[in-house]
Amino acid sequence: MAQLNIQHIDKVYDNQVQAVFDFNLDVADGELIVLVGPSGCGKSTTLRMIAGLEDITAGRLLLDGADITQTPAKDRDMAMVFQNYALYGHMTVYENMAFSLTLRKENPNVIHKKVLAAAEILGLTSQLNKKPAQLSGGQRQRVAMGRSIVRNPRVFLFDEPLSNLDAKLRGATRREILLLHKRLGATMLYVTHDQTEALTLADRIVCMSMGHVQQVGTPLELYDSPANRFVAGFIGLPPMNFFDVTVREGELEGKGFRVPLGEAERAALAPYAGREIELGVRPENVQEGGEIGMKVFSNENLGMNTLVHGHIGGRNTPENKLSAKLRGWYDFKEGDEVKMAFNRCHFFDKETGNAIRKGE
Amino acid sequence: MNEEREIRLDRMRYTKNTLSSGLALLAILFNVMFFISIYESDVGTYYYNILVGASILYNLIFMLAAFLCSEGVKNYKLGYAWLMAALGVGQIARIFIYPMRAHADVVTIQEKTVSVMSDGQFARVTVYLLLSAACLLAGAVVGVIRGRALAAHIASLDGRAA
Repeated sequence: MAQLNIQHIDKVYDNQVQAVFDFNLDVADGELIVLVGPSGCGKSTTLRMIAGLEDITAGRLLLDGADITQTPAKDRDMAMVFQNYALYGHMTVYENMAFSLTLRKENPNVIHKKVLAAAEILGLTSQLNKKPAQLSGGQRQRVAMGRSIVRNPRVFLFDEPLSNLDAKLRGATRREILLLHKRLGATMLYVTHDQTEALTLADRIVCMSMGHVQQVGTPLELYDSPANRFVAGFIGLPPMNFFDVTVREGELEGKGFRVPLGEAERAALAPYAGREIELGVRPENVQEGGEIGMKVFSNENLGMNTLVHGHIGGRNTPENKLSAKLRGWYDFKEGDEVKMAFNRCHFFDKETGNAIRKGE
Repeated sequence: MNEEREIRLDRMRYTKNTLSSGLALLAILFNVMFFISIYESDVGTYYYNILVGASILYNLIFMLAAFLCSEGVKNYKLGYAWLMAALGVGQIARIFIYPMRAHADVVTIQEKTVSVMSDGQFARVTVYLLLSAACLLAGAVVGVIRGRALAAHIASLDGRAA
């Protein structure tokens, strides 16, 4: 397989719109990298530049040390799986999977072996004589993956491959991709706007916004130590709650509520004494009991958890909205007053949006 | 070598018999060439009899049957291969019905006696029918061989699975 080095890549379109700014990433051999971000953040553009489907305006792309920045897509030895499958409707599954090798004029017996092996991996052996129209969405996507596997490319590129599938199928296909990665040990780059896919699949996640890389790290790093407010808000479901607070002696003062600070937090926030910062609290880090009064306006039972929405500090304003994901089954009614506590807080600089950590 | 053969046979489970299928379509093409060539000479009312109706009808049936054969043999169906062979024999037989008779007959047009079918035209239509027959017979032979081989291979796979 392959090691990929993406060095200071920019993409500027002909109309002078810059889609990607100074993208840097080293992908290790066999690593699964997920590029995640909202629509229009430049993740697909980056993937297409790696595939060779878009020109690279500036920067270098190295595959196993060789500069492939100007190499045509067909010579990059990368396989791309698209959201819309891009299968040939008049060909059977077998013919679709064999097509790229047939074009290369490989020995038909070799092609046959490769197609059967790929079909076995993907559980498509019994579907080989069917046409794409006879398959479910998940099966079609597996055919698209099979078409990539038979080529034995150095890098696999996935461009939102699960977006056309329903929720149940998406979960199943996601697990299949993960198993496929473990089985093949291949270098993979995967683009998605779905943070659940990113968290479950990735060895490392690249979180992007407005063409800029916001943070690169393991799923746990992005979830637990987001580099800035954007990453904190984007990763995690339900999203993080944010409040404007002022740093006071031993506590944070919000609009109508106060949050006591621990020793480590006091030290980290010492340079911000008297200043306004942004407090971030994940819904799963809110628990019942404590000092913060919350007025409930909706209660969603999810089985194991209950999602409670309300507002704190006695103010029904967007800035005081709080979502709490409580363990267990609760039946709060609209208007109920509940005491809540935050057992883990994140702090962000109000001006830069960067995370405030101890020693920084 | 044995493994190569095994894979070649196994490939047939997922690939079509395009050779036989293509030959059947080629046979239709040669038949069309025959059909448009046979009536090209001006021989008055020579062809105005029941035979011309039968000939036209047979051409339509032939083309339909040959097309069905093309689709059938594509999927290694033995029955269609045998039908294809029969159509091939039929194409050879047709040489002795219309072209042969027309080539032997003469008609009088504007007080001139002319041959219904010139030597050149006879040679052409005969070649078209022979080519059509050859395509059908070759396609049928390939279809039968491959169809039987595939059936035996699938039977052996089923045997192994059991």
